[in-house]
Formats: sequence, C-alpha cells, structure tokens
Amino acid sequence: MSGSSPVLRAQDVALAYGSTPAVREADLALARGEVAAITGASGSGKSSLLYCLAGVLPVDRGTISFEGRSLAELDDDGISALRRERFGFVFQYGELLPELTIEENTALPLRLAGRRRRPALKAAVEVLDRLGIADLRERRPSQVSGGQNQRVAVARALVHRPAVVFADEPTGALDSANAGTVLEEFLELARSQGTAVLLVTHDPSVAARADSRYTMTDGVLAPEGSAR
Amino acid sequence: MREFLLGLRLLLGSGRGNRARFALMALGGSLGVCCLALVLTIPAILDAHDGRAAARSPRLHIGQPGAGRTWVQEFRDPHGSRPFGRVFVALGREDIPAPPPGLDRLPRPGEVYVSPALHEQLRREPGLSGLLPGVEKGLIGAAGLTGPDELYAYVGATRSQLGAEARALKGFGKDYPPSRVVDPSTLEALRFTLATLVLLPLAVFLSVCARLSAASRNRRLAALRLLGMSSKGTQRVNAAETVVAALLGAALGLGEFWLLNQVVARTGLPGLKWYAADGAVSAGTAAVCLLGCPALAWFVGRASARAAARNPLATRRTAAPRAPRVRWGLLFVTGLGITAGFAATGLGEHPARSDGLNALFMPAGVLMTGLGLILALPLLSYLLARRLARSGNLALSLAMRRNEVEPGSALRVVSGLVLLVFSASLAQGVLVELSQVSRTTSPTQEYGLPTAQLSGDQQRRLREIPGVDVSTVVMAFDDDLDSDTDDDQADALVATCAQLTALTRRVEGCKDGEVMRLLDPNTGDEPFGASEFALKKDGRRLTLRVPVPKDVVRYSGRGVTHVSNAALLVPPGKLPPGAVPTAATLVLASSSDPSTVRAVLDAIGAIAPTADVDPAGINIEALRQLTVIKTLLVAGMVMGLVIGVAAFLVSVTDRAVERRSQVTALALIGARPRVLRAVQCLQVVLPLAVGLVLALVAGKLAETAYLVTGGGEVFWDGAGVPVLLVCAGGVLVAAVVGTLPLTGRRIDPELIRRD
Repeated sequence: MSGSSPVLRAQDVALAYGSTPAVREADLALARGEVAAITGASGSGKSSLLYCLAGVLPVDRGTISFEGRSLAELDDDGISALRRERFGFVFQYGELLPELTIEENTALPLRLAGRRRRPALKAAVEVLDRLGIADLRERRPSQVSGGQNQRVAVARALVHRPAVVFADEPTGALDSANAGTVLEEFLELARSQGTAVLLVTHDPSVAARADSRYTMTDGVLAPEGSAR
Repeated sequence: MREFLLGLRLLLGSGRGNRARFALMALGGSLGVCCLALVLTIPAILDAHDGRAAARSPRLHIGQPGAGRTWVQEFRDPHGSRPFGRVFVALGREDIPAPPPGLDRLPRPGEVYVSPALHEQLRREPGLSGLLPGVEKGLIGAAGLTGPDELYAYVGATRSQLGAEARALKGFGKDYPPSRVVDPSTLEALRFTLATLVLLPLAVFLSVCARLSAASRNRRLAALRLLGMSSKGTQRVNAAETVVAALLGAALGLGEFWLLNQVVARTGLPGLKWYAADGAVSAGTAAVCLLGCPALAWFVGRASARAAARNPLATRRTAAPRAPRVRWGLLFVTGLGITAGFAATGLGEHPARSDGLNALFMPAGVLMTGLGLILALPLLSYLLARRLARSGNLALSLAMRRNEVEPGSALRVVSGLVLLVFSASLAQGVLVELSQVSRTTSPTQEYGLPTAQLSGDQQRRLREIPGVDVSTVVMAFDDDLDSDTDDDQADALVATCAQLTALTRRVEGCKDGEVMRLLDPNTGDEPFGASEFALKKDGRRLTLRVPVPKDVVRYSGRGVTHVSNAALLVPPGKLPPGAVPTAATLVLASSSDPSTVRAVLDAIGAIAPTADVDPAGINIEALRQLTVIKTLLVAGMVMGLVIGVAAFLVSVTDRAVERRSQVTALALIGARPRVLRAVQCLQVVLPLAVGLVLALVAGKLAETAYLVTGGGEVFWDGAGVPVLLVCAGGVLVAAVVGTLPLTGRRIDPELIRRD
C-alpha cells in the first residue's frame, strides 16, 4: 500500500476543547484500500481525531487533505457532500434509525446522495446479501440482534462505495465472537471495494487486523512501535 | 415507600438533563394549575358579585303600608355603556330599616353616598351630579357594591320628592340578585366552553409533561425491572417523580394564581372587575389543586411506566410500538355523527331543541367529538404516515416513517393546538347565540334622547359622534295646546326619504319634500286628525299645524324602533327656518355591532351625562353581560393558547432532544441541514394540518349543533369561518417556525455517545 498516493492525509493536526487539548500532534496518511487502526485509552483523543479527519470537527492547527485537496478549502456544504458521497461511518452502537427497515437504513446514504428509491433499495439489498443478512431487509432494527444491527451499520457505511470509512469502536458493543465475525466481514467487503478504513478502537485484537496501527497517548498520535 | 424514595433518589441523582425535565414538568404543571384555579374561581367571582347585589336589594312592603314608613325608589339607567344605579331613600319616622351593606346609616334628605367609581366619575363629569340631588357625604363600602367599577349611589330625599313608583321599604337583602352578572343557563354554557378551552389543552399538556424524555426514562425503568424490581414497584418509582413535580407545580400554580388575582383585580378585565378577595382561592379549589393534581399525577406516572414495566426487554431494545387502536376512531366518528345529526336538523322545519334527552346528547356529542378528535389523531396520523412513507421524497419518507412508529408522539405535539381550534369554534357559537338573545337582530341601533334635556350645542355634538350614521327627530304633538283632539293627533318624524330608508328595512312611495303619512302595515293603522306641534324660534313660540296628508309612505320597521312612534313624515324643510320643536326625541342611529354600540353609548354619556338615553331594543344589562362573557371567553382562549403553545414547544423540544443522537448520525453520514429541517417540520406539520382540518370541520359541526339546539335564529355561522381559517393558518405557520430552529448546522459527535 505504501506505493500508492494517500487518499487521506493529516499533517500536524491539533484540536482543543476550550483550554483542554484533545489532539496535540497528529500526522497520518491513509492509502486507498488501506486499513489503519488507532488505539489508545479512553479520553486519549482518538475519537476527536477521527472526527477531525472526517471534517466534522474543525481543527485548530494543521492540515487535513482528502485526495490531495485540503478540507479547509471546502465550505460546510462541500464537506457535507464529501461525507455523503466519499466517506462512510460506522458507530459503536450502529445508530440505525429505528423507524426505517433494514434495507431503508442501508440505502440511506444513496438516498441522501439523491439516488431514487428503487435503485437505492436494490443496491442496499446487494450489500446486505454480501453480508448474509438480505433476508432481514424488511425488518426493523428492534427486531434483529445487536450483531445483525452492526452488520447493517457496516452495510450502510459501504453501500455507496466510499473512498474512506471512519469506524468509531465498530465492534465495541458486541461480544468477542460476534465482534470478530462482523469485523472480518467489514474489512473484507471494504478491501474488495478498495475502500480505506480508519478504525478507532481500544481493543488490541481489533487493531491487530489493520494494515497499519497508530497509538494515541494524551492527544499525541504515533505509529505503533515508534520511539515517540 | 421504598420505591417512592428510590424514585426521588433517581430524580435527584440522574443528571442535569433530568433535573431540567423535572423543572419543566413542575413549571408546566404550575401553569396548568394556575389556569385550573382561574376556571374554578370564576364562578366564585360571579357568585360574590351576585351575592352582594342580592344583599343590598331593597325588600318592599306588599299591600298598603302604614304611615311613617321609609320609602325607596330605584333607578337603573345607562351611563354610557355602563349601568348606573341610584336608590332614593325617604326616611320614615318609625321602624327605620337597617342600612344596606357598605353603609353605616341610611342617607337623610339632601345626603348622597356614592361608590368610589361614581365619585371618580363625578370628578370627571360634574354635570352628572344633576342626577344626584344633594351633598356627597361619603363612599359606599365594598360590601355594598358588586364590583370596584360599579356606578351606584344612595340618595336621601323626602317622601314628596319621590315619584309615584316609590314603595315602602321593609329592609335590604334578598335571596336572589335583581339580575345576575351572567345568567345561570349562560353560565353553564360558559363553564362548558371554558372547560373545553382550558381543561382539555391542560390535560394534553400534563400528558406531554408526563411523557417528557420518555425513551431514556423508559430505558432506565426497564433496567430496574430487569434487575428484579416488581412491575408495580417500577411503576411506583416513576410515579414518585411525577407526584413530586405535580405537588411542586400545584403549590407554584396556586402562588401564580394569587399573584394573577392581585394584578387583575386591580386592572380588571373589560366589563368585569372584582375585588381581590372575591378571587381568593377557596378551600375546595386548593384541595382540588393540591390533592387532585398529585393524585392524577400518581396515576399518570404509573400508567406511563406500564410499558417499560411489563416488557422491559422490548423497551431496552426500543421495540416498535403497536399500531394505534381503532376504537378511538370510532369514538370520534360517533361524536361526529351525533353533532352532524343535530346540525342536520337545522336544515329542516323542526330543528332539535335542547330539551329532554337532547340536553344530554348534544353536550355528550360535542365532548365525544373533541376527545375523539384528539384520541383518533394518532390513528389518522398512522394511516397517513403509512401511505406516505414509501414516497420518493426522502424528507417526507423519513418523517412519515417516524410518525408511523410513533404516531402518539407526533400527536402529543400537536393535539393542544388542534383542540384550541376546535374550542374556538365552540366559543364562536356561544358568542353568536348570546348576540342573538341580548340585542336586536337589526343591522342598525337607535338611541333616543329627549331634546328638552339637551342644549343646542349638545345636540350638534351628539349628531357628530363617530359611528352615528343617521340623526333625525321624532316630534311629539303638542298636548299643551287648547285642543279637544289630543287623542287624534300623531307624532311626526322629521326626516328625508334617505334618512327614513336608513332607519327602516324597506320603504315604498316616499316623495322628498312632501309631508306624508307613515304606515307600517305590520303594526296597524290608527286614524288621526290634523296634528299641531309646538316650536321655538329666537325665544318665541310657534305652532306648526299638519293636516292629515293624502299620500302614504309604507315602510317595514326593524323591530323596536323610534320610527314606529310617528305616523307622519315631515321633511326638515317644512319646519320654519331656525325653529326647533319644544317636545321631541333626538334619534341617532349607528351600526348594531356591539363594539360600535358601546362606543356610541360611551360618547353619548360623555356629551350628555344627565340625559335619559333610550337605546331602542337593547338591554344595557345584557350588553354588559355580553361584554363579560366575551372577556371570559377571550381569557379562556388566551389560557388555552398559552397551554397549547407551551405543550407544543415543550414536546417538540423534548422530541428533538430525544432524537438528537439519530439526527446527529444522519448529519454525520452527510444529510443536508435542510433535509433534517424538512423531516423535523413535516413530522409535526402534516399531522397538525390533518388535525386542524378535522378540528375546523368538527368544530363547525359542534358549533352548529349548539346553535340549533340553542333555539336561536342563526344556525350556520359562516362569518366565523375566515377567522378560524386565519387562526389555523397562523398555528401552522407558528408550528413550522417553531420546529425549524431545532436542527442546527453544527454537528456534535458527543451527542451519539450513550449515557
């Protein structure tokens, strides 16, 4: 992966909440199709960095660029469009809309990007099928298990074939057996699509499946095994 | 008790958000209790008014009284649009009755006791003292007055000064007042309407408060249940919070009402002023508020925790609720059927009357329609949402999916406002009926004033009062002249054909410039001979003799009118230049719109305070009653509006707070702010629009049913529809504007973290 140009790059990024620093120093490069994991203790600033990289939190210092273009050059609508069309998200608790069916939840990014209802649902079912849960498509999130919900969240993150998926503790709410299966399916599908994945986790076994690993300590990001 | 204490512990220790919710519940409850106390106290205020009127009413001797008795004569005239009461008392030599409440002793000849309001009025209009012969000796105390704004006086006189209508006085104080501030039958209708206006929105509001943060609270209760707490115990934990909030709210609400009573008793409402003591909270009202509200909250709190207690697993996993029950739809349809049935009888020749079983069915139908409307709204919202959820429009689809799984939530948001529009229709009905019974149905209103009591300048100013469209004179034939034919003479209307037309419904055969016979075929035609009228010009006395004219002008009068007193039409040009009749009535006419009538009466009172005003066909007490009722209805509407808007704001905000993690997730995956706003807005506005349309239809049917059974002439109040449409439109716009700020542009990822 190191030979390709990075799809996402962060240089000297810093962020503070008032007078409390959350991210003090972060440099990171993510190549197309690469899976990177950031580990660290709770409160170390890893989730804050993830949302900085996704353009949700504006940084105080440094540069974040996606496909060579700085996010600072984009206005709010531009960043929203980026998140809608080029990024995907997996949250710890799935954050599916309980009122929508599984297929409607999965199709949501396509619908937000303006795709018509029928083709969007068709694409959603295809992804659900690849994850082995297409038969659940008519059900609502409350009617399936936690592991199945998280698979739906993965499907939702990948249905529009994004360039980068940001995953914040994607298996944090699952038992170890389920967590392993979901993560495996997630990374396999992402790699098959050429989608880069940035994982934030405190679980070393999850991080071990990544191509590259970083450690966050008190707001400072360092490649795993580095002297810093 | 253990669960109750645990509930309090959870309340105090569950973070800032929950404490804010508790404060909101207590404050909301206090607002509701304040309104409830007002509704409960209004009859007491009216009773206090009527009670004092009864306590000062003179009791008269029946039959021939003995010599040396005390005599009394009462006058009740309008001063402007306000009643002005005067009691002339001629003290006897023996058996002097005890003074009425508010006086230490009865006035002696030449002494006058006045109410504080009359004292002020006399200061502004010294001419008014002409009606109160004597010297002001003091003020009447509050115990002797119906309210602080009453114009009332006791005038001491001699027996010879009193008229033939004076009666021997036995004492003061009767069981019933001479006239009630609001008639008992009207008061019942008013209570019913006020209850609909205030209590139904209040019930919605309390339900909204009890369901605040329902999702997160239910998860907490479900966790307790899963930890081994019994079902009833879990419900009691929840009820602890609602009971404490209700108790605090009740205490605060009574305090708010005390403050409101003190302020409003000083400023007063249009047509109704009361003493602060009249509006004091009674023991019964305090008991209802302090015991009833927490008791109600106990049941509401337990009921709202039932789902979490019965099925904690489903609650923890936020299972989709069941579809709304069809039976509430049936309640609405039944209510609508009853009101429509009553309304339909208005189309036939035998409209239904509010007697027998109808007296039960009509209000029951109206109540069922109102309650059914609210209870059926979730079902209607659910059906609408199911139909629209598969729409190609993303915002509409998301909004309808939400309403499909939580139709009750959307309706809690809007039901207060829907009820308000329904109640407004009822209020219009009450006003329409009252307008019919309290004043003439004519589009014009006449006022007659004896010209002998008016100077030339006063007459000129009276004719120029804004709102007065026509002014003429009805000239009385001269019965002082030496004539044997007094009985055969007729009074004359001095007017042009245009003026006559303006004062009547229809005129045929009128010729300008000619003296004619006036004939209203509906009132008969009494023969009369030549008539003579005394005129005055430059201090000289003239006589105008009018032979019986050959030409006849036929007209159709409008109910009670001064025109009907005249049988001759004399054009103004036929009077000698500069001459004015010595005995005549100045007749002014304005629109019969109640506000115009009040304004004209006030202006007349200001220009000619001592003149006797005869507002043809109008009962000044009824006009005042109408003002009071309008005031109370408007107060009820304002309270309903406050409660409805508060319920709307509280629940729409709560809903937004409950949904913020999902909305944040949507924003994170790239949903545009305008899509999120549209979803937020459509969720509320669509069910609201459906509810408002139904409220307009159901409200108008209920109003018509009320008018039909009320026995008036007007059944269909089309004039009220534009006002209601504007109100409904305003409510919709307010709802749209109210929901928009709930979705900001800024995304806070912390909001998707679990507590």
